[in-house]
Amino acid sequence: MPGVVPCRATRVVPRPAWPTVVLILLLSATGIARAAEGPVLVYAAASTRDAVDAAITDYRTRHPVQIHGVYASSSALARQILDGAPAALYLSANVAWMEVVASRDLLAERRDFLRNRLVLVAPADHHLPRQFADAADIAELLGDSRLAVAETTGVPAGIYARAALETLGIWGGLRSRLAEMSNVRGALFMVERGEAPLGLVYTTDALASSGVRTVWTVPEDAYPPVIYQLALMKAAADAGHAEAFFRFLLSSAGRRFFTERGFGTRD
Amino acid sequence: MLGFTPLEIEALALSARVAAWSVLICLPSGIAVALVLVRCRFPGKWLLDGIVHLPLVLPPVVVGYALLVLMGRSGLIGGWLYATFGVTLAFSWQGAAVAAAVMAFPLMVRPVRLSLETLDRGLEDAARTLGAGGIRVWATITLPLCLPGILTGTVLAFARSLGEFGATITFVSNIPGETRTLPLALYSVTQVPGDPVPAIRLALISVAVALLALLISELLARRISARLGARTRNAS
Repeated sequence: MPGVVPCRATRVVPRPAWPTVVLILLLSATGIARAAEGPVLVYAAASTRDAVDAAITDYRTRHPVQIHGVYASSSALARQILDGAPAALYLSANVAWMEVVASRDLLAERRDFLRNRLVLVAPADHHLPRQFADAADIAELLGDSRLAVAETTGVPAGIYARAALETLGIWGGLRSRLAEMSNVRGALFMVERGEAPLGLVYTTDALASSGVRTVWTVPEDAYPPVIYQLALMKAAADAGHAEAFFRFLLSSAGRRFFTERGFGTRD
Repeated sequence: MLGFTPLEIEALALSARVAAWSVLICLPSGIAVALVLVRCRFPGKWLLDGIVHLPLVLPPVVVGYALLVLMGRSGLIGGWLYATFGVTLAFSWQGAAVAAAVMAFPLMVRPVRLSLETLDRGLEDAARTLGAGGIRVWATITLPLCLPGILTGTVLAFARSLGEFGATITFVSNIPGETRTLPLALYSVTQVPGDPVPAIRLALISVAVALLALLISELLARRISARLGARTRNAS
């Protein structure tokens, strides 16, 4: 029966495709696995961006390693890490989010690393209607605009800012006049652009930007101490590169990138 | 579990308000631009066409940044608006409506334009030969025949406005009760470790609202096509 032969032939043709498909899937799967072992990903609080970038650039001139910084609010990073993000190091701007990650038994080692302070900033080229005297002036100087802060329930800089405003007795009047940004650098950006006449950011953010000037340093007893913790993730502890970079950041050479940008250090 | 939380009600109400205003901005201007694009010939028309469609292909964050630079309080247009009228769009729900309207605009223009292009100009000419003036032709012939396109545009623009995220968060930030629409509320709860239930609920609410919008548009479209069909039958 001549008609059967082409029929069989067409049925046979797709079969050799299966090994190819399986092979492609396997290859791409190993690609994924390799990517996880690939670059060292440093999940760092947005406020540490410049310092971590500088430390990475410096480190890479001496070590042939791929290291990338991933920057967002410490809360967003914690969320991503809990959801399985391939972080090798985690640098959190408060202890609370580090505790959350630690409670899932994800950390190999963690250290107190940096200190910071809160300051009130204004756009560098704008003049406030009058001299700033004390915290009670904030509401008046805002006029009909808003105070730029980081998000006040999850983002560390926002949580510290809220605590400070509460201690200073002006939270009630200001809570509806905030522009809450997804991280502290977002708040800094809004002040730089002049959309917000005032903002509460870290002193290191104010130093990093030429677009803002510090109007007032918030009294340190008004909010809990700003403590950054650095952790080496269990998942990355076996990879030598991650641990080596972790030790480098903690060394005096590594800390220099942070202290010269205004961070305090602590062990 | 079944009742809405205050956060959800706030986000829902705000989304509805922002999307409604976005459509109100888009509807007249979208029809006007579609008319110009279909019926007029002038040099540089391709540029207008391109600008109208730009939000469809640009990353939304670019649109948001452009809005911030132009319409922010220290921006070119925004500075003038503030100095002249005391209006501030940045950090306000009105700004969110503007951002949503810009993003939704091409989706409003396209279906209206298609309707206009496929419209039988002979019907308009017939009305004119029967003595109808320009406005009457427009109100009794052109507009009714374009209704399916206008409706599709309205629904697409409304849905796009409900879902607008990138331009909104860049331009007007994420202020509870002011600019935190449904997608921004969902984004906010996914930024913090913890209970996944609020995020799932907000996602389900978004799906439900989108389905509802589609359902309403489907019902309206059926009524319109039924009426248009009835009219043509009466006419013949």
